[in-house]
Amino acid sequence: MRYFKLLAIFYKNSLITELEYRVQFWSNIGLSLFWLAWASVGSGVFFFHTDQIAGWSYHEVLVVVGLFFTVNGFRQMLIQPNLTRLSQYVQMGTLDYILVRPVNSLFLVSLRNIGVHNWGDPLLGMGLVCYAFLDMGRAPGGPEIALFMLLLIAALLILYSLNLLLQTTTIWLVNIERADAVAWSLLEAGRYPVDFYKGWVRSLLTVVVPVAFLTTFPAQALLGRLDNWAALVAPVLATVLFVVSIGFWQFALRYYTSASS
Amino acid sequence: MIRRYYRIYNTLLRVAIGEALQYRAQALFWLLSAVFPLVMMVVWLAVEAEVGPALGWSATDFISYYVAAAMAQRLTGASALWNWQAEIRDGTLSLQLLRPADPVHHIVAAQLGWKLVDLTVVLPLIVIATWLSPAISYPVGPELFAAAAGSMLLGLVLNMMMQSAFAMIAFWTTQSSNVFGLVSGIGQFLSGYIAPLALFPEQFRQVANLLPFRSLVSLPVEMLMGKLSWAEIGFGYAVTLIWLAIFTLIYRLAWRAGLRQYEAVGA
Repeated sequence: MRYFKLLAIFYKNSLITELEYRVQFWSNIGLSLFWLAWASVGSGVFFFHTDQIAGWSYHEVLVVVGLFFTVNGFRQMLIQPNLTRLSQYVQMGTLDYILVRPVNSLFLVSLRNIGVHNWGDPLLGMGLVCYAFLDMGRAPGGPEIALFMLLLIAALLILYSLNLLLQTTTIWLVNIERADAVAWSLLEAGRYPVDFYKGWVRSLLTVVVPVAFLTTFPAQALLGRLDNWAALVAPVLATVLFVVSIGFWQFALRYYTSASS
Repeated sequence: MIRRYYRIYNTLLRVAIGEALQYRAQALFWLLSAVFPLVMMVVWLAVEAEVGPALGWSATDFISYYVAAAMAQRLTGASALWNWQAEIRDGTLSLQLLRPADPVHHIVAAQLGWKLVDLTVVLPLIVIATWLSPAISYPVGPELFAAAAGSMLLGLVLNMMMQSAFAMIAFWTTQSSNVFGLVSGIGQFLSGYIAPLALFPEQFRQVANLLPFRSLVSLPVEMLMGKLSWAEIGFGYAVTLIWLAIFTLIYRLAWRAGLRQYEAVGA
């Protein structure tokens, strides 16, 4: 309860600061909308030449593109302003101040800030998903939506846990900005269904870097054609990764030697 | 006149190269993060597998295209807009104005220095990749390589002047990078970075041929792939030069107007 109150205070502050700059606020929405259109048109170029790619029609691809915006927007709103700054805290020694506060340190490190710039992305992304379904003239049923919600939560949890695992190594390595950038440029691959990729790239994106779990599987759930194994594996993988990453964080903290003293 | 510029650039380039050499690993690192063109390439390969020869582009064509396009995009990429914007916003422009050379020379020389260092990393990689992989081939003679190299250099200069023109907006509002963000977003379609222009509808291609963006990626790449006649190459060069002149003019006019408007922040 106390934690929710804290979050409300943190986020209200960020929002008030952001609303000071009205023009900036609206132009951010405009930009989000522009990049959404950009991505939709960019995916349309392929369909000048074919009706289907690996069994996906244009509208079905748009569902994946919309989810890519949703998931990526979540990353930019909650992960980038928080976990990604961990290596700065370690470099500057300010992690000390976080550790001595009477609140769970992982809570502060992962949820303290919110990137209000990109708040439109998840909403607009889901908007694109709705548009794609409307244009197809069909609607997902109750069970599909329920399964989709489960897979979306799993996707966000997987994304968070992978970030926590990667960022925690900063306790030892101090500077991992480049590794971080490379890892997240891989997320770009989630713009399109993994079925588009062939051979080892597809295996890589499903098993090693689970990009498939972030956008393709939730989209398939909504489209009502998710493989049974994926529906089972996603929540399990999310839970395991979450538990492991938290364990890794607690383990790493024992090795944290402050920079300032 | 010429001697003066020679002296200015001789000094500024040395400094820029020295700076850029410190960050050589970054050029290599770029290679690992250039995932977007790779994704687009892979999707095209999937389309090609579906459609077959009716598409008119083979798998080899796509691979060669995107390798060259990623390289061209890297070599003609500029950061002049952000350099200007930082100087105008922070007021460091005031310092630059006291120096004997116009601030634009500092910005241009810095970019050229970085590109020279980039080249020492990117070029060997491309040569090795082309040599190792039979899927990457540029079936043209040395004269077309020279034409493509010249086109990329012009493309870089054009990009710097285009960005400088848009950067001048910063004298009046803080939105200059947002405005340019929109323009360059549309430009990514028109430059051929997202997909080969040949695979867009005919009207789109005709418009793209007349706009500045094609000079940044597609034009040199089409030359490398042997898709252009000498007449078409001449036309492409002409379009590049005309836009270069237009943007240089706009930038200079806006610069003069902007300076009158400029209130050195922090001074």
